[in-house]
Amino acid sequence: MTPNTLLWPILVPALLAAIFLILPSRVRIVREVLAVAGSAGLVVLGFALFAAKDLTLSLPWLGMGIDFDLRLYQFSSFILLALTGFLFLIALFSTAKMKDDPKAREYYGYVFLAAAMANGAVLADNFVPLVFFWEGLLVTIYGLITIGRKKTSNRTAVKAFIISGFCDFCMLLGIGILWTITGTLKMSAISVRPEGIAVLAFIMMMIGAIGKAGAMPFHTWIPDAAVDAPVGFMAFMPAAFEKLLGIYLLARITLDLFTLEKGTGLSVVLMVIGAVTIVFAVMMALVQKDLKRLLSYHAVSQVGYMILGIGTAVPIGIAGGIFHMINHAMYKCGLFLSAGSVEHRTGTTELKKLGGLAREMPLTAAGFTVCALAISGVWPLNGFVSKEMVFHGALESGSVIFAVAAWVGAIFTFASFLKAGHAVFFGPRTKEVAATKESPAPIVIPILVLAALCITFGVFNKLPLESFIQPILAGHVEAGTHLDFTSHALAVFNPVAGISILCLLIAFGLHAYGWKRGEKKAYLASEPVHKFPGLRQVYDLAEARVFDLYEQGIKFIHGLSWVLFKGIDRPIDFFFEKVVTSVGRAFTGIMSKAHNGQYANYLAWSVGGLVVVASIITLLVK
Amino acid sequence: MIFLFIALPLVVAGLLPLLGRVSKRVLPDALANAVLLFLLVESVLMGKHLAGSGPYVRTFSWLGEPVNLRLAVDGFSLFMLFTISLVGLCAGIFSIDYMKHYGAKANYWALFLVMIAGMNGLVLSADLFNVYIFLEVAAIASYALVAFGLEYDELEAAFKYLMLSVVASAFVVIAIAVLFGVTGDVSFAAVARGLQDTDSRWVVAACTAFFIMGFGLKAALMPFHAWLPDAHPSAPAPISAMLSGLLIKVSGVYALTRIFFNVFGLTPALSTVLMGLATLSMIVAAFLALGQKDLKRMLAYSSISQVGYIVLGLGLGTPLGIAGGLFHLINHALAKGLLFLNSGSVQQATGTRNLDEMGGLAKRMPITAVTNLVGALSISGVPPLNGFWSKLIIIVALVQAGQWGFAVAAVLASVLTLWYYLLIQRKAFFGKLDERWKDVKEAPFWMLASNVILALLCIGIGLFFALTIKTWIQPATDALGQGVRIALGPWGM
Repeated sequence: MTPNTLLWPILVPALLAAIFLILPSRVRIVREVLAVAGSAGLVVLGFALFAAKDLTLSLPWLGMGIDFDLRLYQFSSFILLALTGFLFLIALFSTAKMKDDPKAREYYGYVFLAAAMANGAVLADNFVPLVFFWEGLLVTIYGLITIGRKKTSNRTAVKAFIISGFCDFCMLLGIGILWTITGTLKMSAISVRPEGIAVLAFIMMMIGAIGKAGAMPFHTWIPDAAVDAPVGFMAFMPAAFEKLLGIYLLARITLDLFTLEKGTGLSVVLMVIGAVTIVFAVMMALVQKDLKRLLSYHAVSQVGYMILGIGTAVPIGIAGGIFHMINHAMYKCGLFLSAGSVEHRTGTTELKKLGGLAREMPLTAAGFTVCALAISGVWPLNGFVSKEMVFHGALESGSVIFAVAAWVGAIFTFASFLKAGHAVFFGPRTKEVAATKESPAPIVIPILVLAALCITFGVFNKLPLESFIQPILAGHVEAGTHLDFTSHALAVFNPVAGISILCLLIAFGLHAYGWKRGEKKAYLASEPVHKFPGLRQVYDLAEARVFDLYEQGIKFIHGLSWVLFKGIDRPIDFFFEKVVTSVGRAFTGIMSKAHNGQYANYLAWSVGGLVVVASIITLLVK
Repeated sequence: MIFLFIALPLVVAGLLPLLGRVSKRVLPDALANAVLLFLLVESVLMGKHLAGSGPYVRTFSWLGEPVNLRLAVDGFSLFMLFTISLVGLCAGIFSIDYMKHYGAKANYWALFLVMIAGMNGLVLSADLFNVYIFLEVAAIASYALVAFGLEYDELEAAFKYLMLSVVASAFVVIAIAVLFGVTGDVSFAAVARGLQDTDSRWVVAACTAFFIMGFGLKAALMPFHAWLPDAHPSAPAPISAMLSGLLIKVSGVYALTRIFFNVFGLTPALSTVLMGLATLSMIVAAFLALGQKDLKRMLAYSSISQVGYIVLGLGLGTPLGIAGGLFHLINHALAKGLLFLNSGSVQQATGTRNLDEMGGLAKRMPITAVTNLVGALSISGVPPLNGFWSKLIIIVALVQAGQWGFAVAAVLASVLTLWYYLLIQRKAFFGKLDERWKDVKEAPFWMLASNVILALLCIGIGLFFALTIKTWIQPATDALGQGVRIALGPWGM
């Protein structure tokens, strides 16, 4: 395997994307065969590269240290493998879901272009190619959201673009500062202690990373996109790719580029962001009435666990954060695909209209249940393991409050999935939805594969932890540190796991209470929390997008532009339009009056001019 | 061969009234334009020859007797010859269609060619008295041409022009007489040498003042400008183009520059006075142009303003300033020629020159609208057109010389220029088409051809400004930059 092989994961999907964009819409079969076969080939390539481990490729590019450096090592090969795997599942899913979509041509093109960009970003070992691929991904996000063709799709696409663009701009600033400090753009050559100006670089780059992952307050486009974008995009981008990339970069920042230490201010900042994201996003998720919106808030909330885990800066926390990233990608992707499956057959994802689908769609229901239990952290699924690791990390970092926040998140996560699962698949069958049947195989298979992976990663957690996660940390902890996380993560009978299980019980109780209060309608199970005095007003404000920084920012900018227009532009305009022109006209008028056509007058000026000229020359010559 | 530049148009001008009896239109048109084309080719060919051999002087003999007609060619005169021939040819082509309704075409062409001969003679003269003679030749032809329409306004304007010009000529003659009295000769070389040998500061000062008034009036520098806004608009459009594009520059700017640079030598005092007058013209005339309703009057005021630029560059006296001034001279000749010809097209199509009555003509006269826009943007100094580069060079030269005040004035005038040219464009060509003009037609072929050629020249020179400067402007700048030495050296005979 030569270093040039590293170009394949970038060039192959890019080439496929070009083919998809050129290929006429009608040749559906060719497109789908190419997509599935191509992405399957990429998975094989991903495995081959994962086996190869260490490869570097350096092509001279723009000079000044801006080279096209690619580096494959433990961490990036793992992410690359995950990316190719998700691409394959999404491609398979899309063959059924996007079958009759008039924009399928662009959809496939953008998806594969996004894959090319994401692969490039993961492999990049130089900041300039990294930014190039990172921004390229942003463009495909814009395109994919607009494919939703809802009334507000374009608006949401712009929102996603602006929010992500802001985060990327911050990252760019951070990179610039880091370049100034270190004098190099080669990522693997950089390791800085976050002190002085480097703190700013850290924060800026961190914003770029967590913004991509969708942490608060950079998350607000995701719930909007859940409604406006194709569901395949949601499973593909916010659920899987963006988490992988964002958390990958965050881990690189905290592990490689900077040396984040336990108990420092920056560590606390990250943990606060993580905890806040967990709690607030899950509270929003709980009261959602639409399955896709509910899932999208969880996609935000779960990022909090990853950031919290990485922010603890203790080995078990970091490992938990990274493990949670891959786990989350699997079950959240599975959940969105399940939602897509439901939407495919029933045409809606509104909880109120759905119910009792388990009998007609047993496979989807099973997949959804497994993934929902996994995200809720039920033993022995993968979510349980990684969450336990994050709890342990949070406790080890010394601040109990963060662990408490994480547990609060766990309560409401489970409560909201009890509500969602109950409302969609169980309970009485609603009349709004006509009789239906299970989705076709291309939709069901990815869901079941993901559910199976959730079980595997949970039950046999030693396997992923030892082969994927621990090697990433190997170079970053003090020699001799115990790196075996499996022992206490699996042990169900320890105080931490006890509290977690207690949380699940509380959640169950909450759901049961709400369900009874809501006249046994599952979609009303969260109403007691929703209508809780104090919380209700906050929820109302949130519904009005008061907490959405983007919406507030847009309002502010509109206001500012109005003020600038009235306060500065108009006066300047007045100056030029009225003051300057009237002064000019007045002057012109005076001069014009002087030109009255009288010969004598003109002759007098000429002679007067002669006198003046002559006297000036006389004066000057002397 | 340089004698041909004067003799050929004069001889043809003499023949034309006779030929007009034979053929009313076709023959005079063809013959006159052939002469103009020949002169253009000749000036280009001579440029090549001159570039190889350096400036030269010719004395002529008639029947064995030496005739005291000394003609000299250097880079500056050649540059002027080229400009005269180029703009003259374009105005000539335009006249083929435009002058149809005036009648008496043979007479028109005769006067036209006399004016060309006068201007050519002026730029080739190597002595002061010849300068005066050719100045009058060109001027008298121009008086007649201004009055060519024989309407009340035209006659009045021609008369006013004549009366003021005569005063100017008188001062020029006085100055020449004084110089002859002091140095005993009128040739540039002898006068220059004579002035150097004797302490004649006061004589020079007095003559300078007279020349400034005389030639300044011809060049329409403020405050000697007042005749121009009456005279130029009254003439037929191609003559307006000739007067504004060429005559004021040849009989005003060229004569002034030639004498001040190569005979007197540019002194700081002179430089200051010239730049002061130039700035006054530039700014005040721009404001005056702004207030005009009459399209051609606005163009006429603009000419005064733009001559200000030229004199400002030349008066600065640094090589870059001279180059900028000369470059602006040809650029303005082309662009203003173009604009006056366009105004002729508009006037012929609509019968009015009042901007307020026009509007939306671009829909009916698209080519004229485009060529007019090119000319307007060129004069206003919008890149990449030719006028931008010459103004830029002038402003850069001013800044280099530390003349910040003048530089700011030049920029200000440029803004004003853009202002009133956009006013023309908007009022005449853009906007809603007035009901009255719905039957208006695009100008006839030869008029369009001439406009398009000029517009393409404006664009072409703008794109290849470096080439133009190297071929035409640099030799002229060198000739002027040598100052008095050129009169003493190569012209010393």
